[in-house]
Amino acid sequence: MSGATTAAYLARRAAQKERVRILYRRALKDKLNWAVHRHLFYQDASDLREKFEANKHVEDLDTIDKMIAAGEATYDKWRHPDPYIVPWAPGGSKFTRNPVPPSGIEIVYDYGREEND
Amino acid sequence: MALRAAVLRHIRLPVQTLPAAGSRPQSQLSFLRLFSSHDDHLTKEEVIDRVLDVVKSFPKVDPSQVTPDVHFQNDLGLDSLDNVEIVMALEEEFKLEIPDKEADKIDSCNLAIEYIYNHPLAG
Repeated sequence: MSGATTAAYLARRAAQKERVRILYRRALKDKLNWAVHRHLFYQDASDLREKFEANKHVEDLDTIDKMIAAGEATYDKWRHPDPYIVPWAPGGSKFTRNPVPPSGIEIVYDYGREEND
Repeated sequence: MALRAAVLRHIRLPVQTLPAAGSRPQSQLSFLRLFSSHDDHLTKEEVIDRVLDVVKSFPKVDPSQVTPDVHFQNDLGLDSLDNVEIVMALEEEFKLEIPDKEADKIDSCNLAIEYIYNHPLAG
Protein backbone atom coordinates (compact mmCIF):
# COMPACT_ATOMS: atom_id res chain seq x y z
CA MET A 1 0.00 0.00 0.00
CA SER A 2 2.66 2.51 0.93
CA GLY A 3 5.50 0.75 -0.93
CA ALA A 4 6.72 -1.99 1.32
CA THR A 5 10.42 -1.26 1.11
CA THR A 6 10.82 2.28 -0.17
CA ALA A 7 13.41 4.42 1.48
CA ALA A 8 10.86 6.82 2.96
CA TYR A 9 8.92 3.95 4.51
CA LEU A 10 12.05 2.45 5.99
CA ALA A 11 13.22 5.82 7.26
CA ARG A 12 9.90 6.41 8.94
CA ARG A 13 9.91 2.94 10.48
CA ALA A 14 13.46 3.47 11.75
CA ALA A 15 12.49 6.79 13.31
CA GLN A 16 9.51 5.13 14.96
CA LYS A 17 11.67 2.33 16.29
CA GLU A 18 14.03 4.84 17.80
CA ARG A 19 11.13 6.67 19.44
CA VAL A 20 9.88 3.39 20.85
CA ARG A 21 13.29 2.51 22.24
CA ILE A 22 13.71 5.89 23.91
CA LEU A 23 10.19 5.72 25.28
CA TYR A 24 10.83 2.25 26.70
CA ARG A 25 14.07 3.46 28.28
CA ARG A 26 12.42 6.44 29.93
CA ALA A 27 9.42 4.45 31.10
CA LEU A 28 11.70 1.80 32.60
CA LYS A 29 13.70 4.43 34.48
CA ASP A 30 10.48 5.92 35.71
CA LYS A 31 9.35 2.55 37.02
CA LEU A 32 12.66 2.31 38.84
CA ASN A 33 12.04 5.70 40.40
CA TRP A 34 8.56 4.83 41.56
CA ALA A 35 9.24 1.33 42.90
CA VAL A 36 10.72 1.67 46.37
CA HIS A 37 11.50 -2.03 46.75
CA ARG A 38 13.36 -3.89 44.09
CA HIS A 39 10.91 -6.77 43.73
CA LEU A 40 8.18 -4.25 42.87
CA PHE A 41 10.40 -2.86 40.14
CA TYR A 42 10.85 -6.29 38.60
CA GLN A 43 7.10 -6.79 38.54
CA ASP A 44 6.52 -3.36 36.97
CA ALA A 45 9.24 -3.94 34.41
CA SER A 46 7.65 -7.23 33.35
CA ASP A 47 4.27 -5.55 32.95
CA LEU A 48 5.78 -2.75 30.90
CA ARG A 49 7.53 -5.25 28.66
CA GLU A 50 4.26 -7.13 28.15
CA LYS A 51 2.56 -3.92 27.05
CA PHE A 52 5.27 -3.22 24.51
CA GLU A 53 5.34 -6.80 23.25
CA ALA A 54 1.58 -6.88 22.73
CA ASN A 55 1.81 -4.21 20.04
CA LYS A 56 4.95 -5.52 18.41
CA HIS A 57 3.34 -6.85 15.25
CA VAL A 58 1.52 -3.69 14.16
CA GLU A 59 2.50 -2.70 10.62
CA ASP A 60 0.46 0.37 9.79
CA LEU A 61 2.54 3.53 10.14
CA ASP A 62 -0.25 5.82 11.31
CA THR A 63 -1.44 3.40 13.96
CA ILE A 64 2.10 3.08 15.20
CA ASP A 65 2.42 6.86 15.39
CA LYS A 66 -0.77 7.13 17.35
CA MET A 67 0.32 4.40 19.74
CA ILE A 68 3.68 6.05 20.31
CA ALA A 69 1.98 9.37 21.02
CA ALA A 70 -0.38 7.69 23.47
CA GLY A 71 2.55 5.97 25.16
CA GLU A 72 4.43 9.23 25.50
CA ALA A 73 1.34 10.89 26.97
CA THR A 74 1.04 8.10 29.53
CA TYR A 75 4.72 8.45 30.37
CA ASP A 76 4.33 12.20 30.87
CA LYS A 77 1.37 11.62 33.11
CA TRP A 78 3.22 9.15 35.34
CA ARG A 79 6.59 10.87 35.61
CA HIS A 80 8.05 10.85 39.10
CA PRO A 81 8.29 14.34 40.67
CA ASP A 82 11.69 13.66 42.25
CA PRO A 83 13.56 11.20 40.07
CA TYR A 84 16.87 9.70 41.07
CA ILE A 85 19.62 11.34 39.05
CA VAL A 86 23.25 10.34 39.36
CA PRO A 87 24.91 13.13 41.42
CA TRP A 88 27.31 14.42 38.79
CA ALA A 89 24.74 14.44 35.99
CA PRO A 90 22.68 17.53 35.11
CA GLY A 91 19.98 17.82 37.75
CA GLY A 92 21.96 15.87 40.32
CA SER A 93 23.27 17.26 43.58
CA LYS A 94 26.96 17.36 42.65
CA PHE A 95 26.51 18.90 39.23
CA THR A 96 28.94 21.83 38.77
CA ARG A 97 29.73 21.68 42.46
CA ASN A 98 33.50 21.90 42.09
CA PRO A 99 34.19 23.16 38.61
CA VAL A 100 37.71 23.06 37.30
CA PRO A 101 39.31 26.46 38.08
CA PRO A 102 40.15 28.51 35.01
CA SER A 103 43.65 27.95 33.72
CA GLY A 104 46.28 30.53 34.57
CA ILE A 105 45.14 30.94 38.13
CA GLU A 106 47.73 29.91 40.66
CA ILE A 107 47.76 29.94 44.44
CA VAL A 108 50.95 31.40 45.93
CA TYR A 109 51.76 29.72 49.23
CA ASP A 110 53.66 32.41 51.03
CA TYR A 111 51.65 32.13 54.27
CA GLY A 112 51.43 35.86 54.72
CA ARG A 113 55.16 36.46 54.57
CA GLU A 114 55.87 40.07 53.77
CA GLU A 115 58.77 41.39 51.77
CA ASN A 116 60.55 43.15 54.64
CA ASP A 117 60.95 39.94 56.72
CA MET B 1 84.23 6.74 74.85
CA ALA B 2 85.72 3.92 72.88
CA LEU B 3 83.62 1.48 74.92
CA ARG B 4 80.54 3.44 74.03
CA ALA B 5 81.40 3.37 70.34
CA ALA B 6 82.10 -0.36 70.54
CA VAL B 7 78.75 -1.03 72.22
CA LEU B 8 76.93 1.09 69.66
CA ARG B 9 78.65 -0.65 66.80
CA HIS B 10 77.53 -3.94 68.22
CA ILE B 11 73.93 -2.92 68.67
CA ARG B 12 73.52 -0.93 65.49
CA LEU B 13 71.54 -2.77 62.89
CA PRO B 14 73.04 -3.12 59.44
CA VAL B 15 71.57 -0.69 56.94
CA GLN B 16 69.74 -2.35 54.08
CA THR B 17 70.02 -0.63 50.76
CA LEU B 18 66.61 0.26 49.41
CA PRO B 19 65.67 -1.07 46.01
CA ALA B 20 66.48 1.27 43.17
CA ALA B 21 63.96 4.05 42.85
CA GLY B 22 61.35 3.34 40.22
CA SER B 23 61.85 -0.41 40.25
CA ARG B 24 58.32 -1.24 41.39
CA PRO B 25 56.22 1.83 40.80
CA GLN B 26 52.98 -0.04 40.31
CA SER B 27 52.94 -1.82 43.66
CA GLN B 28 53.82 1.39 45.46
CA LEU B 29 50.97 3.16 43.75
CA SER B 30 48.55 0.46 44.81
CA PHE B 31 49.04 1.47 48.43
CA LEU B 32 48.41 5.12 47.75
CA ARG B 33 45.00 6.40 48.69
CA LEU B 34 43.85 8.62 45.89
CA PHE B 35 41.79 11.36 47.42
CA SER B 36 40.70 13.10 44.28
CA SER B 37 37.56 11.85 42.67
CA HIS B 38 39.06 12.17 39.22
CA ASP B 39 42.16 9.97 39.55
CA ASP B 40 40.83 6.49 40.12
CA HIS B 41 39.86 5.51 36.62
CA LEU B 42 38.93 1.91 36.06
CA THR B 43 41.36 -0.37 34.31
CA LYS B 44 40.29 -1.92 31.05
CA GLU B 45 40.28 -5.46 32.43
CA GLU B 46 38.03 -4.42 35.26
CA VAL B 47 35.62 -2.75 32.86
CA ILE B 48 35.57 -5.80 30.60
CA ASP B 49 35.01 -8.17 33.53
CA ARG B 50 32.16 -6.20 34.97
CA VAL B 51 30.46 -5.63 31.62
CA LEU B 52 30.64 -9.32 30.80
CA ASP B 53 29.25 -10.22 34.23
CA VAL B 54 26.29 -7.93 33.69
CA VAL B 55 25.61 -9.34 30.25
CA LYS B 56 25.95 -12.94 31.42
CA SER B 57 23.50 -12.45 34.27
CA PHE B 58 20.80 -11.29 31.86
CA PRO B 59 18.15 -14.03 31.86
CA LYS B 60 17.68 -14.19 28.11
CA VAL B 61 21.37 -14.58 27.37
CA ASP B 62 23.36 -17.79 27.08
CA PRO B 63 26.45 -17.13 29.26
CA SER B 64 28.78 -19.37 27.26
CA GLN B 65 28.38 -17.24 24.15
CA VAL B 66 29.34 -13.95 25.72
CA THR B 67 32.70 -12.56 24.62
CA PRO B 68 33.98 -9.00 24.62
CA ASP B 69 33.16 -8.74 20.92
CA VAL B 70 29.63 -9.98 20.91
CA HIS B 71 26.83 -7.96 19.31
CA PHE B 72 23.65 -8.00 21.35
CA GLN B 73 21.17 -8.31 18.54
CA ASN B 74 23.13 -10.17 15.89
CA ASP B 75 25.10 -12.66 17.97
CA LEU B 76 23.03 -13.12 21.10
CA GLY B 77 19.67 -12.97 19.37
CA LEU B 78 18.26 -10.27 21.59
CA ASP B 79 15.54 -7.76 20.90
CA SER B 80 15.99 -4.00 20.66
CA LEU B 81 14.07 -3.67 23.93
CA ASP B 82 16.46 -6.20 25.48
CA ASN B 83 19.25 -3.95 24.28
CA VAL B 84 17.67 -1.06 26.18
CA GLU B 85 17.44 -3.23 29.29
CA ILE B 86 21.08 -4.24 29.08
CA VAL B 87 22.19 -0.62 28.73
CA MET B 88 20.13 0.27 31.77
CA ALA B 89 21.72 -2.56 33.72
CA LEU B 90 25.16 -1.26 32.72
CA GLU B 91 24.16 2.22 33.86
CA GLU B 92 23.19 0.82 37.23
CA GLU B 93 26.37 -1.22 37.54
CA PHE B 94 28.74 1.67 36.80
CA LYS B 95 26.63 4.42 38.36
CA LEU B 96 26.56 6.31 35.07
CA GLU B 97 23.99 8.50 33.47
CA ILE B 98 24.09 7.94 29.71
CA PRO B 99 22.10 10.41 27.55
CA ASP B 100 19.29 8.84 25.56
CA LYS B 101 20.88 9.40 22.17
CA GLU B 102 24.14 7.82 23.25
CA ALA B 103 22.41 4.91 24.93
CA ASP B 104 20.54 4.16 21.74
CA LYS B 105 23.80 3.65 19.87
CA ILE B 106 25.29 1.12 22.27
CA ASP B 107 24.67 -2.09 20.38
CA SER B 108 27.48 -4.45 21.26
CA CYS B 109 29.85 -5.30 24.08
CA ASN B 110 32.64 -3.50 22.23
CA LEU B 111 30.81 -0.21 22.17
CA ALA B 112 29.74 -0.58 25.78
CA ILE B 113 33.29 -1.25 26.98
CA GLU B 114 34.68 1.65 24.93
CA TYR B 115 32.07 4.05 26.21
CA ILE B 116 32.46 3.08 29.85
CA TYR B 117 36.24 3.04 29.71
CA ASN B 118 36.35 6.50 28.18
CA HIS B 119 33.83 7.93 30.59
CA PRO B 120 35.66 10.00 33.24
CA LEU B 121 33.20 9.30 36.02
CA ALA B 122 32.61 5.59 35.59
CA GLY B 123 32.29 3.97 39.03
